[in-house]
Amino acid sequence: MEVELAMLRHFIGQLEELCELYGSPYHHHLPDTEPRPLLHQHLNRRWHSLDIDESSPEFCSPVMAAGKSRGIKSVDPCKLPPSKKSRKERNQGKSANNDKSAEVMEQEIWREFPEDLFEAVIARLPIATFFRFRAVCRKWNSLLCSQSFSQHCAQVQQDYPWFYTITHENVNSGVMYDPSLKKWHHPTISSLPANIIVLPVASAGGLVCFLDIGHRNFYVCNPLTQSSKELPARSIKVWSRIAVGMTLNGSSATGGYKIMWLGCKGEYEIYDSVKNAWLRPGTMPRNIKLPLSLNFRSQAVSIDDTLYFMRSDPEGIVSYNMVTGIWKQFIIPAPLHMTDHTLAECRGRIMLVGLLTKNAATCVCIWELQKMTLLWKEVDRMPNIWCLEFYGKHVRMTCLGNRGLLMLSLRSRQMNRLVTYDMSSKEWLKVPGCVVPRGRKRQWIACGSAFYPCLTAAA
Amino acid sequence: MASSRKITLRSSDGESFEVEEAVAVESQTIKHMIEDDCADNAIPLPNVTSKILAKVIEYCKKHVDASKAEDRVNDEDLKAWDAAFIKVDQVDQATLFDLILAANYLNIKSLLDLTCQTVADMIKGNLFPVRNEWLNFTFSIANRELVLVCLTEWVAHRRLFCS
Repeated sequence: MEVELAMLRHFIGQLEELCELYGSPYHHHLPDTEPRPLLHQHLNRRWHSLDIDESSPEFCSPVMAAGKSRGIKSVDPCKLPPSKKSRKERNQGKSANNDKSAEVMEQEIWREFPEDLFEAVIARLPIATFFRFRAVCRKWNSLLCSQSFSQHCAQVQQDYPWFYTITHENVNSGVMYDPSLKKWHHPTISSLPANIIVLPVASAGGLVCFLDIGHRNFYVCNPLTQSSKELPARSIKVWSRIAVGMTLNGSSATGGYKIMWLGCKGEYEIYDSVKNAWLRPGTMPRNIKLPLSLNFRSQAVSIDDTLYFMRSDPEGIVSYNMVTGIWKQFIIPAPLHMTDHTLAECRGRIMLVGLLTKNAATCVCIWELQKMTLLWKEVDRMPNIWCLEFYGKHVRMTCLGNRGLLMLSLRSRQMNRLVTYDMSSKEWLKVPGCVVPRGRKRQWIACGSAFYPCLTAAA
Repeated sequence: MASSRKITLRSSDGESFEVEEAVAVESQTIKHMIEDDCADNAIPLPNVTSKILAKVIEYCKKHVDASKAEDRVNDEDLKAWDAAFIKVDQVDQATLFDLILAANYLNIKSLLDLTCQTVADMIKGNLFPVRNEWLNFTFSIANRELVLVCLTEWVAHRRLFCS
């Protein structure tokens, strides 16, 4: 025990020294290269290569690796701190985490960078950056409340949505997947009520709409921040299954949003966030055949101000324009032998994703709606090699995100596969398993919804 | 308009650049000056040097041409052109810095987006900070965080440390 304490004290001392050395903004030169304890030296170098993209468990890897191998693994020589050395010397060491040689930012140039433009730059950093620093730094938190930063964030277009999912193992809190870094994020604090189960049903402008499992109460929350809100109770007490759609009033959540629920009997209501009330703008027109036979496995799709819901009998889509209040009905025959289908959306085009089962072979197919003919046209299929895994098995597919980037969960009795499909680039990718921090067991994803992350969206 | 008007822009070091009006109004600042009728003679731009103004004009010309071409330039191609325009061997850090300030002063949204994203990418790929309050603070916090995390791990796995 004493030995351990001594080691701990020694360790803390070394780390404190390093903090002093590299925490100061004015240090231009490298510390003297006197012989230092080996561990210290390698820790030192490893820190230089820390990347903002890393998530926290990986910080410990050099320390852990050092311990496990009973010796110190050699770490890549990294860039030295910026100094008056020549540019060539500065760029020699490659950061371990970058595939292309990262440039050193020259302090002499950037010291004059104006504060107000700095927000414009920070708004363009990867969202995951904020997770790392938000918990420990008040200045970052104050940024989230700033109007100007909010405007900058609204102007930055996120290429890929994130996915908010609920796992079977822990239905009370969500897990988020970031496809740009291919990482799962486990939020430690949930702003949603902990005692009831809520499921994500729709999203717009960085906000996710949740419905509790009894179909009674709605909640809206920004999964990246603590901002959340319980919506007032609906005026119609309909507890049967409903389909939900969400749209923005303007181009970002600051302009307000609308949430619509639709029941099979054609009853519907719209929540307006600006008025904070549910409104009944009218009734379903008579030309739309009731009951609606809504496909509840498929999430609604919103393109501009119109919501599209999938239905059967007759097979097709009903759409509602939030601005004009007009309902339309489209009769579109479903592809043969298709099951587990969901509506999706990519750049304003309506798509369909479903399982195609013929004889014993199952495949995931993507169709695009031809607006002129109102027919589904097949545009892509999952690669054959992947489909072979499901041959002869009874597979169920759940869509966990249907905007731009699809996330699909394919399950049979023994197997659970998660894949993403980029509808623009037509790329199929496997999703790494979701594991709780410090755990090994892969979690089963029950349901989910895609959302475009926006740090400053407030419920 | 049948023939587009030519606008003269004068840089801080006295050099004059003649550009088509369509190119000049990519800058909201210049656009407002023209609308307010301040553009009879050359428009003075005291905050922008000739070197930077030349690059800004190059950028604006490309973007104006791209949007009015008969066969519209593909989004992907324009993005590729932007990437080549701002590449590190074309635009060194000092020029990038000046370009941002110019894009901000001239209020050219797309150029400001491009340059700010470039800086964000540089920061992302390079931990060693810029002498700036934000990043240095961030970095020093990162150290403390790392210390805490390491300590926690150490305590949890201390047997591994005892060789």
